Amino acid sequence: MRFAITMFSLLGIASIIGTVLKQNEPYNNYIIKFGQFWFDIFEKLGLYNLYQAFWFLLILVFLIISTSLCVSRNTPKILKDYKKFQDRIREKSLLSFKHSYQFPLKEFSPKKITAFLKSNNYKVKHKIIEDNGDLIVAKKGDLQKLGYIFTHLAIVIISIGGLLDGNLVFKVQELIGVKQIQLVDQPLSQIPLTGRMSENNLSYRASMLLSEGDTKTAAILRAKEGYLVQEIPFSITLKDFNIEHYSTGQPKSFKSDLLVTDNETGQSINKTISVNKPLTYKGVTIYQAAFEDGGSQLDLLVWNLNSSQPSFQMNSEIFKNNKLTFENQNLTLEFKDFRKFNILEVSQNEEQKPKPTNVGPNFLYKVRNESGQAKEYQTYQLPIVIDGKYFFMSGMRNSPQEEFNYLKIPADENFSIKGFMTLKSLLNNPQKVNNAINKGINESAFTTSEKKEAFKSGTQNIINAFIKGGYNSVIETMDLNIPEQASFPDKERAIKTYINIIYLVSQELVRDYQDNNKGEIVFPINESPRFIQDALTAYSDSFFYGVPLYLELKDFEHVQASGLQLTKSPGQIWVYLGSILLVLGIFCMIYIQEIRLWIFRKKGSSSLIVSLATNRDRMDFDQYAIRLKDQIKKMTN
Amino acid sequence: MLENIKDKFLNYSFGLILTILTIFAIFEFHDFMDYYEIFILLGSAITFTWMGNMWPNFKNLFLNIFLFSFISIYLYQGSLEQIELNFFLKYFLSSQSAIMWMTALYPLSLIIYWVYLLSRQDFYGSLATKITWIATMMGFVGLLVRWYESYLISIDVGHIPVSNLYEVFILFCLITSLLYLYYEEKLDIKKMGAFVLIIITAAVGFILWYTFEKGANQIQPLVPALQSYWMKIHVPANFIGYGAFSMAAMISVAYLLKGKGILGNYLPELNVLDEMTYKAISIGFIFFTIATILGAVWAAEAWGGYWSWDPKETWALIVWLNYAAWLHLRLIKGLRGSILAWWSLAGLAVTTFAFLGVNLFLSGLHSYGEL
Repeated sequence: MRFAITMFSLLGIASIIGTVLKQNEPYNNYIIKFGQFWFDIFEKLGLYNLYQAFWFLLILVFLIISTSLCVSRNTPKILKDYKKFQDRIREKSLLSFKHSYQFPLKEFSPKKITAFLKSNNYKVKHKIIEDNGDLIVAKKGDLQKLGYIFTHLAIVIISIGGLLDGNLVFKVQELIGVKQIQLVDQPLSQIPLTGRMSENNLSYRASMLLSEGDTKTAAILRAKEGYLVQEIPFSITLKDFNIEHYSTGQPKSFKSDLLVTDNETGQSINKTISVNKPLTYKGVTIYQAAFEDGGSQLDLLVWNLNSSQPSFQMNSEIFKNNKLTFENQNLTLEFKDFRKFNILEVSQNEEQKPKPTNVGPNFLYKVRNESGQAKEYQTYQLPIVIDGKYFFMSGMRNSPQEEFNYLKIPADENFSIKGFMTLKSLLNNPQKVNNAINKGINESAFTTSEKKEAFKSGTQNIINAFIKGGYNSVIETMDLNIPEQASFPDKERAIKTYINIIYLVSQELVRDYQDNNKGEIVFPINESPRFIQDALTAYSDSFFYGVPLYLELKDFEHVQASGLQLTKSPGQIWVYLGSILLVLGIFCMIYIQEIRLWIFRKKGSSSLIVSLATNRDRMDFDQYAIRLKDQIKKMTN
Repeated sequence: MLENIKDKFLNYSFGLILTILTIFAIFEFHDFMDYYEIFILLGSAITFTWMGNMWPNFKNLFLNIFLFSFISIYLYQGSLEQIELNFFLKYFLSSQSAIMWMTALYPLSLIIYWVYLLSRQDFYGSLATKITWIATMMGFVGLLVRWYESYLISIDVGHIPVSNLYEVFILFCLITSLLYLYYEEKLDIKKMGAFVLIIITAAVGFILWYTFEKGANQIQPLVPALQSYWMKIHVPANFIGYGAFSMAAMISVAYLLKGKGILGNYLPELNVLDEMTYKAISIGFIFFTIATILGAVWAAEAWGGYWSWDPKETWALIVWLNYAAWLHLRLIKGLRGSILAWWSLAGLAVTTFAFLGVNLFLSGLHSYGEL
């Protein structure tokens, strides 16, 4: 008993540790969190997979043994009690009971009393004691005692069921060296026998990631920092994967269309599974557990944001890398994810409350340079409305812990990125810029050629600074040009002038482009000033974008992958049976009251003794005893 | 004798009303229900009839909830816009208003219970009880109407309102107060309202903060994992457990105070308090056990295993072990007194952590109620 309680307490404490320390994470995370010293100690203790640790399983085994002993020791006694009437009791001890009554007697009919007690659900035994008198022994609520057996037996059954579904078999196999956890990623077919669990494995919870169209014949068992291959008696093909959404955008259902083919018979069945609706086949239950991209194909246009170079095409695939030489750097583009639906809080204009809207596809990629450093990008395919204006959004961050910083490129008249790209090409074309400045000067009110020349070189400087580094660079150059002692309003006025100059030159570039490309409407006609301002801001922000490399998503082919879980759990039925027994047992123990009753009449005596006893003395038992006594008294008077 | 006949008559009438309603529902709506739902409907009808027979006041509560919910649904006329347009909906019977009335009335009844405890005037005692009844009624009306409201948002959004922290906190208040009202009547211990209503008022405080700070009262559609008929049984059963354990803890507070001579003359006898703690913990334990088992059955269906050592599951096990030990000490060892009272009070801390703390501090599969 004491041992069982110790085991239960240990189980409780161990479980708490397991909830506080996140289980089954990659081992690197633990090293970062605890440092090498504590990492080693915790690993020895098995704290990262605590619920599968040897000592934890040992606690469970001890618990089963000690509870079984408890049950086996007490059961015979309880069963004996269950059958037995306590009819060897003395008058004296009857009178010493807490609920004992003695009253005068007129008429004594054991038959009548027996019938009365039986109608009150008592089991009754009438015993005539030769030289002493009549003893009626009655009892009810024996089930309460059985409750003890039920609950304790239930705990044993549930624990055994749990152990059946644990990985004890593998633990033993690992210990004697028959099986070994695999640490290196390699194709399933190349994994040696020591890394494979046969399909006869007693129980497992394995996972399988299937892209649309793929077929797999084995699943993966995660184990500590590695994995094992779990063979299954059938193959699974993912024909289709579907996500439905609510009108508000949250996911409504995940469904996988599966084709399951039996290895032996070759017969196959078609079945759609979803969360909460698994499929059980040959004792293995297949669950919808997760989903991710399955290697979507992306058609991209590669733009250089800071030059007049034209864009070029590139094809890529999620989970694959593309190599690229860009501005004399060897870059690796690592494509990580593609999402077809993205729900963001968006408002159509400033007055409207933001509401969740699907803003269309985005994709996630990393750009890694030669020294191995990488920045992460998230780019949306379609422009997103912000305060009534549409922008192409592309976020950049240096590490996954950071939030994305978004580059907002204004969409043009045709909701395309072309307008902006045209303007940045024009800005990076010295000839065009020169023409634009000249045109501006010719139309200006400057009279002398020196003034014109001075203004021209000033403007050229500003534009050059802007093209090389955006507004920041303009301000830096300006600091060199404006005298130190200039007052603040002067400086501010100067900045405004510079911004205005950049704007006017850009406007001239746009006007010139429109004149030479009649029929092709790129720039917004009515909203032109706002577009140019937004485009210049975007150009200036592009210097904080890491690499001036913009990927425009032209087209995609969406391929999804479904994460399945495959479970074989022979202990489940035992756990359920044990649970039913547990509830029954608790009910018996708490809500059935065991009552024993003795009615004794001494031979020739004119008084009757009524005594009651219960093993759980509750408050309402007092009233019950008195009521019962009164009824018996009435019967005998 | 006459009383007896009247009781019987009322019981039969109540049973009859429920039977008629059930038959009506099955005939009218069987196209929309699967077998499980018909089973749940029949089970509810039987349970409520039984509760009505066992506890006459439950009949009144049930009929009032029924009446007001239907008035409210009638006033909606199938459109959410009516909430703003209709006076009665706006101020009384829309789900949000009904819940707000509940949040106002529980703290009020707490105050009046304390007035009663200290003044010992029966008037205040019965007033506090009445207000608690009305608050409970309003809370249930609020939840039922919310259920209806969710279907008005969109047919596929509609679901029983036990799916997030906001909704289950309301459920917690209602179940705890129902349990209390039952024992108040059976054991004649009106004064305990002054203690039990403390925990309910604390929960009300959370609901208000959650509503006004986080806008948690918005109805959200169900994530795929929650789309299961098990939710209808698992969550309420769990909250009977939580509610009963909380009530037991508050009575233990009274027990400890009385044991130290504080408020000694105002509180019921120690053995009455002890008995009530025991009753609360045992009913809580049964329901908590059933709820955990149902949770395991559900987990086997949704997550691919009846037990995954998910933090919520593990803490449920710890709560279970805690009260199993409590009952063990009391039933098998016959222990009584302040140790058990302290233990049940500590049990509240464990239960609260399992209920709220896990959602706040630990992540896992049960992440529906994140703050």
